[in-house]
Amino acid sequence: MSRLYDTVEPSVIDDKMLKTCIEEQGPKDEAGNIAKKDGILYEEVLSLRLDFQNILRVENLWQFEKLIKLQLDNNVIEKIEGLENLKNLEWLDLSFNNIEKIEGLENLTKLKDLSLFNNQISKLENMNTLENLEVFSIGNNQINDYDFALYLRQFKELKTLCLKGNPICEKPEFSPYVLAHLTQIIYLDYRLVDQNMRAEGLKRFEIDIGQIISNEEADEKIRQENQTLEKETHLNKEAYVEGLNSDELFLSLFNEDSEGQKLNLIPGADDLLADYHDKFVSVCKEMYEYGKAQKDLRENEVGEFWKCLNEAKGVNTEEASAAINVFIEYKKNITEELNNITDQVVQEAKLNEYNDEVNKLWDKLMSLEVQVVDQLEEIIREFERNLSDMVNNFVEQIQGFFGQLRDLENIQFEKLQESCLSTLERVIKGEVSDDFPDDLRDLFIDKDTVVNALQTSHDLHTLKIDSREDDMISKIKNWSNTMIEQIHDEEEYKRNRKRVIEINRLIDYFRDEIYEPADLQD
Amino acid sequence: MSNDDPTENDTELDLDIDQTAEQIESKEVQDLKNELNEVIKPMDAPPMFPPHPVKCLNPHDYPESYNSNSKKEELVLQYVDNFKTQFQYIYPDRKTLFMAPYNECGIEKFVCTTIRPTILKFSKLYDWKECAQFVADYLQFRLLKEPTELPQILYSPTHTLKIQEGNCFDYSVLLASLLIGAGYDAYIVSGYATREVCNMDQSRIICPLLIKSMEKKTEVKRKEMGKYTVKPPKDMNSKYQASQESKAKKKLEEEALKRKLEYERYLAELERPAADPLYGLRVHAWVMVLSGKREVAETFFIETLTGNAVSTKDDEYLGIESVWNHKNYWVNMQSCIDGTAGLVFDLGDSSKWEYMLPSNDKPILLMPPTEGMEEEEESKDVEKHLDLPPSWVNQIDITLKDFERRCPEGKKVVFYKKCKVEKFAPYLLKDNMVLKITEYLDSEMKDLKQIIEEFVHRADKINKRVINFQTGWVLETFDRGRSKFLKEHRYQQSKAGPENERIMHFYHDSRVDGLKCREETPTEMCEHFENRPDFLYYRKVVFDKRQKKFGPQDGDNYRPILKIIERYNRNYKRKANDDIHELIYNIEAEKFQITYHRESTKIAPSTREFLKPPNWNDKSTTWNWNLDLHQTYQASNEYKQKKNVELYQFLSWLINEEEMVKSMVRKSEEEVKSILNDRTHEETVTEKTVSIYDTDRNEKAKQYKLDIEKKINEEKLRKQTHEVDYLAPFLAEKGLSDKQPISASAAADLKERCLSDLKQRLIDKANLIQKRYEAESNEMQKKQQWYQANQINMSREDEQEYLEYCSDALFRIHILELRLNRHKEKAPIKYQEMEQRLRADPRLSQLK
Repeated sequence: MSRLYDTVEPSVIDDKMLKTCIEEQGPKDEAGNIAKKDGILYEEVLSLRLDFQNILRVENLWQFEKLIKLQLDNNVIEKIEGLENLKNLEWLDLSFNNIEKIEGLENLTKLKDLSLFNNQISKLENMNTLENLEVFSIGNNQINDYDFALYLRQFKELKTLCLKGNPICEKPEFSPYVLAHLTQIIYLDYRLVDQNMRAEGLKRFEIDIGQIISNEEADEKIRQENQTLEKETHLNKEAYVEGLNSDELFLSLFNEDSEGQKLNLIPGADDLLADYHDKFVSVCKEMYEYGKAQKDLRENEVGEFWKCLNEAKGVNTEEASAAINVFIEYKKNITEELNNITDQVVQEAKLNEYNDEVNKLWDKLMSLEVQVVDQLEEIIREFERNLSDMVNNFVEQIQGFFGQLRDLENIQFEKLQESCLSTLERVIKGEVSDDFPDDLRDLFIDKDTVVNALQTSHDLHTLKIDSREDDMISKIKNWSNTMIEQIHDEEEYKRNRKRVIEINRLIDYFRDEIYEPADLQD
Repeated sequence: MSNDDPTENDTELDLDIDQTAEQIESKEVQDLKNELNEVIKPMDAPPMFPPHPVKCLNPHDYPESYNSNSKKEELVLQYVDNFKTQFQYIYPDRKTLFMAPYNECGIEKFVCTTIRPTILKFSKLYDWKECAQFVADYLQFRLLKEPTELPQILYSPTHTLKIQEGNCFDYSVLLASLLIGAGYDAYIVSGYATREVCNMDQSRIICPLLIKSMEKKTEVKRKEMGKYTVKPPKDMNSKYQASQESKAKKKLEEEALKRKLEYERYLAELERPAADPLYGLRVHAWVMVLSGKREVAETFFIETLTGNAVSTKDDEYLGIESVWNHKNYWVNMQSCIDGTAGLVFDLGDSSKWEYMLPSNDKPILLMPPTEGMEEEEESKDVEKHLDLPPSWVNQIDITLKDFERRCPEGKKVVFYKKCKVEKFAPYLLKDNMVLKITEYLDSEMKDLKQIIEEFVHRADKINKRVINFQTGWVLETFDRGRSKFLKEHRYQQSKAGPENERIMHFYHDSRVDGLKCREETPTEMCEHFENRPDFLYYRKVVFDKRQKKFGPQDGDNYRPILKIIERYNRNYKRKANDDIHELIYNIEAEKFQITYHRESTKIAPSTREFLKPPNWNDKSTTWNWNLDLHQTYQASNEYKQKKNVELYQFLSWLINEEEMVKSMVRKSEEEVKSILNDRTHEETVTEKTVSIYDTDRNEKAKQYKLDIEKKINEEKLRKQTHEVDYLAPFLAEKGLSDKQPISASAAADLKERCLSDLKQRLIDKANLIQKRYEAESNEMQKKQQWYQANQINMSREDEQEYLEYCSDALFRIHILELRLNRHKEKAPIKYQEMEQRLRADPRLSQLK
C-alpha cells in the first residue's frame, strides 16, 4: 500500500472502526440482531479482520484478550507493536505492509501461523519465543543471506515456509540449502518438498550440517545439565538444606572475616583448619541427609493427607449426587402426573407432596454436608497435630546439629588462641622465620590485638552459624503455618460455604420449577 | 515262549491253597462257610482252560516283530511269568496281574513293550487335554468280553488306530503312547471302576461341554485404610433390631435351603440307577499322569473313554491292581477299601508299590533275570539290570486327513444326562456343522430345551448358534470378517423380522461409527458406542406406533420417532459445565433437554432446556429468538452465562442436529433390515469357505499344484525327446547293447554308419525342400500363363483371386528359398557337431 502512503491520510484504529468491523464480520441475520442487542464485548471476540484500512499504527487492541485470529494485511504499518496483550493469538497476518524489523511478538507464544509477506524485512530476529510456529510466510522481503535458515532451525513445529521473492532465492543452491538445513519443513514456497532435492542438499552440505548439529547438541546438553542442577538446588531448598552437602557454609564463615583469614596463616594453623573443616563439613553433611529424609517424610504425610481428604470429599459428593438423581427421577414422574391432573384438590395435594420431598432432599443434603464437615475437621486437626510434631522434631534436631557446629567453632577458637599466643611469644622473641607474612606481623604486636582479632573472627563465625539456624527454623515454621492456614481456609471454610450455597441454589431451583408450570396453568 | 498259559497256572495255585485250607478246617468254620454261602451266591468260576484267543486272519500282513518274539522279549516274558507266579503264590487272594496278553497276531507280549511313545506332527496333540479328547473321539468303544475279567488280547496302538475301535485297555495304550511321547509322566492303570465308567455310560453325567467356567473370581476390593481416612458417620440404627431381622431372615433362608436340598435328594433318589451286582469287580483301564513333568502340578487320572480328567479321589474308581509305563510295571500293595482316594502315588516306595524291574532311578535290591530259584540266590550280588527290549510296535502315524476327520466315519454321538452331543468332521455336512449339542428337559429326551450348533469354515462367518426353546431366543455368534462386522445376534425365533426384539453385538473396533451393540424392541432402539471421537456412547430412540395410512404408500414407511436420547462421555478438553452429558431430542414435545456433566466437586449438573420456536420448520422465514424458549439451571453462580447469540446459535444447531440424528436412526434401521436380509439369504445358501492353507480342499491350490506337476512332466518329456540316443538304432541293428564294451572296429563301423546316415538325412531334407520349391514355382508359372491367356475376358473377382494367389505363392516360394539357404548353411555345422559328439561318446572310446 506504499503507493497510497503519500496521498491518503492514514487512519487510526478507533472504537468506531473496531465496532463496524466486528459487526460486519460477526453473525448475520437474526443472530446478528441478537448480538447487536447483547452488545459487543471486545474481550469476547475471537477473530478480527482489519484489512485495507490504511492503518499506520497498531494500537487500541489491548482489550481483545481472547483473540485467536487477527488480520492486519494490506495496511501501511511500519512497526509491529501493540500486540503484547493478545496472548491467545494463533493466526497473525501482517502481509502487505511496510514493516522493516520483526519485533513485538515475544508474548504471542501460541502463534501458529505468521504471515509477513511483502514487507521490507531483511533479517529474522526476536522470534525465539514462538515455539509453536507451524506456518511462516516471509516472501517478498529483503532477506539476503543464509542466516535465516539457521535461525529457523529452532522451530520444531514449522511445516510450511514461504520465501519466494527474496533476493536470496536467486542463488543457485537456494532450494537444496534450505531443504537440507530445515528438515522439519514439508511445504516450501507453496509446494510439497522434493525429497530428492533434499537428499542432494543433505549430501552437499553434509559437513556444515554435521557441525551445526553437533553444536546444537552440545548446547542442548549444557542446558539439560543446568536444568538438573537447578532442579536439585530447588529440591534442596525445599528441604532447607541447600549448600549443606558441600563446604559452602564453612567457606562462608571466612568470607567477610579478614582477621580470621589472616590468623589462619600462622604456622600450625593449617592443620587445625583442616581438622576443623573436616569435622564441620561432616556435621553439615549429616544435617543434609537428615533434612532430605525429613522432607520425604513430610511429603509423604502431606500426600497421604490430601489423598484421604479428597477421597472423603469424593465419597460425600457422590452420595449427595446419588440422592439428587433419585430426586430428579421422582420429579420427572410427578411433573408428568401433574400435567395430567386437572382436579385442583389433587393437584394441591401433589404439590404439597413435592414440597415435602424437596424439603427432605434439603435435609439429606445438609446432613451429608454436616457429616463431611465433621469428618474433615477431625482429620485436619489430626494432620495439624502430626505436622507440628514433625516440625518440632525437625527443629530440635537441627538445633542439635547447629549446637555441634558451635561447639566445633568454640574448640577451634580455643585451639587457635593457644597457638596464636605461642606464636605471639615467638614473634616477640623474634624466633619466627622470615617468610612470616607482613600482614600477620601487624596483628602480632601485642596480646590484646591478637586476642581482639581472634574474638572478632570467632564472633563473626558464631553469628553466621546462628543466622543460618534461624533462617532454617523460621522457614520450616513458616511453611507449616501457611499450609495449615490454607487448609483451614480452603477446605473447611470456603468449601463448606460453596457447598451450602450450591445446595440452597439447587433446592430453590427445584421449588421454583414446579410452581412455574402450575402457575401457568391457573 | 513258555507253553504254560498264565491263567492255567493261576487256577492251579488257587486250588492248592483251597486244599491246604480245607485240611485245617474245623466244623465251626464249615458252618460259617455254609452260612456265608447262603448269603453270597457263589460266582461262576472262570473256565479252567479258556479258549485260545482268536488270531487275526492275516498275520502276514503285519511286520515281523508283531508275529514273533525276539530273544530278549522271550527272556522278559520268562521273567514276567516268574514274577507273576511268585506274586500269585505270595498273594493268593489277589487277582491275576495283567502282564502278558496276546497281541493281534496271537503272540504273547509284555504290556510295557506294547507302549510306543510317539510324538505326532500335530501341535495340538502336545497338550494332554487335546490328546485325550482326540483318542476318545477317534476310536469307537467296544465293551470288554467279560466285564469282570481282564482281556486276553491287547492290540498294538497301530492296530487300534487302523481299525478305529478298542476296549478300555486299547484306548489306554494308545493314549499313554501319545502322552509319554509328548513328555508327560503317564501310566496305564489296570483296576476297577463302576459300571457307568466301564460301560462309558455318561447318561448320568452333565455334559462337560455345558459346564462353563462359572468361577469368576470376584476380587473383593479391600478398601485401603489410609492414615487420615475419615471415620464413617455414626450409625443411628438399632443394632438389636438389625440382629433380630437378620435372624429371622436367616431362618427363612435356612428353611428354603432345606427344602431345596430335600427336593434335590428326592430327585437324585429318582434318578439313582439300580444297584450293580458286580460292583467293585468290573475291570477297567485308564491313564494316570503323575505330577512333575510338563508342569503338571497334581497327579490326576484321565478317563480314556471320554477324554476327561478325573481327580485321583474320584469315587467312580474303585481300586488299582497295577500300573505300568514303557519302562516298568508296578503292582499296588495298598488297600483299596475306599477306592483310589487313599492311595499314595509314590512309585519309588516299594512298600506301597511292588516294582517288577529294578530300574536305575530307584536302585533297590535287584531281581535279576532268572530261570530258577537257585540262580536268584547267587545273582543277588551281581549288579545287572534286565532292561526292556524296545517296543515291538511300529511307529504310530496318523494322516492329516484322518486327524481332521477324527471320529470314525467323521461323526460320533454321545449321550449325557438329558443331553445329546453329536460331533462331525469339517466339510462332512452341507452346512459345515461340527458340533451339535441337544439339551432336553427330561431324561426321556422328548422335550427340547436347547440346541447348540457350532460351525466352521462358513462363508457367512457364523461359528455358533444357540436356540433356546424355552425362551424362544436364538443366539448366533460370528467371526470377524463380515461386511457389517456383526459379532453376535440374539433374536426371538418366532419373530425374526425387523422391528422386533433383538440384540446385535458388533466388532466395534472395526466399525467406523464405533457401534458396539444395538438392542431393539418393537418401540425402542438402543445403540451403544465405544471410542468415538465425539464421545457419544449411547443413543436410545423411542418409536411411536406406525400410523395406519390409507391410500397409496409413499416411499418410506418408518415408525415415527417420539424421542431420541444421546449420552456422551466426558470430554476433558471442555469445561464440565459446557460438556454435554445427556441430550434429549424430545420430538413429541418439541423440546431439547440437555444435562451437562457434573463437575467432580459439585453435587448436581447444570441443565438446559430449549423449546422449539413455533415456526422452526418453516424454511421460508427465519424464526425469532425470545428468552421464553430457553430455561437453565446452572450448578454454580460462578459459571459464565451464555449470551443470547450463543443460545440462538446453539438452538439452531440443535434443530439441524435433530434432522441429522433422525437420518442416522433411519440408517440404523436400514442396516438392521439389510443384515437380516443377508442372514436369511446366507442360511439358504450355506456357502463354505476353504482356507488358502488347506491344500487338500482348496480347488485353486490344487489346480495350481496340478499345473506345476504337468509342466514339470512336459519339461521332462521334452528333455527326453531332445536327448534321443543317436546311436541306439545302429546299436540295435548290430545287436549290441550299451553295457557291453564295443570293439574298435565295430566302433569305427558304427561311427561311419551314423555319420553317413546323418549325411543322407541332411541331403534328403535338402532335396525335399528343393522339390517343394520347384513344385511351387511350376504351379506359379502355370498360373501366370493361364492368367496371361485369359486376362482379357476375366471378371474382377477372378482377377482379385489370382492376385491373392500370386502374393501367397510368392510368399511361400520366398520362404522355401530361405529355408533351403538356411539348410545349406546349417547342414555342415550339424554334421560337424555329430562328429564331435561321436568322438566324445564314451561308448566309442575304443576308436582311438
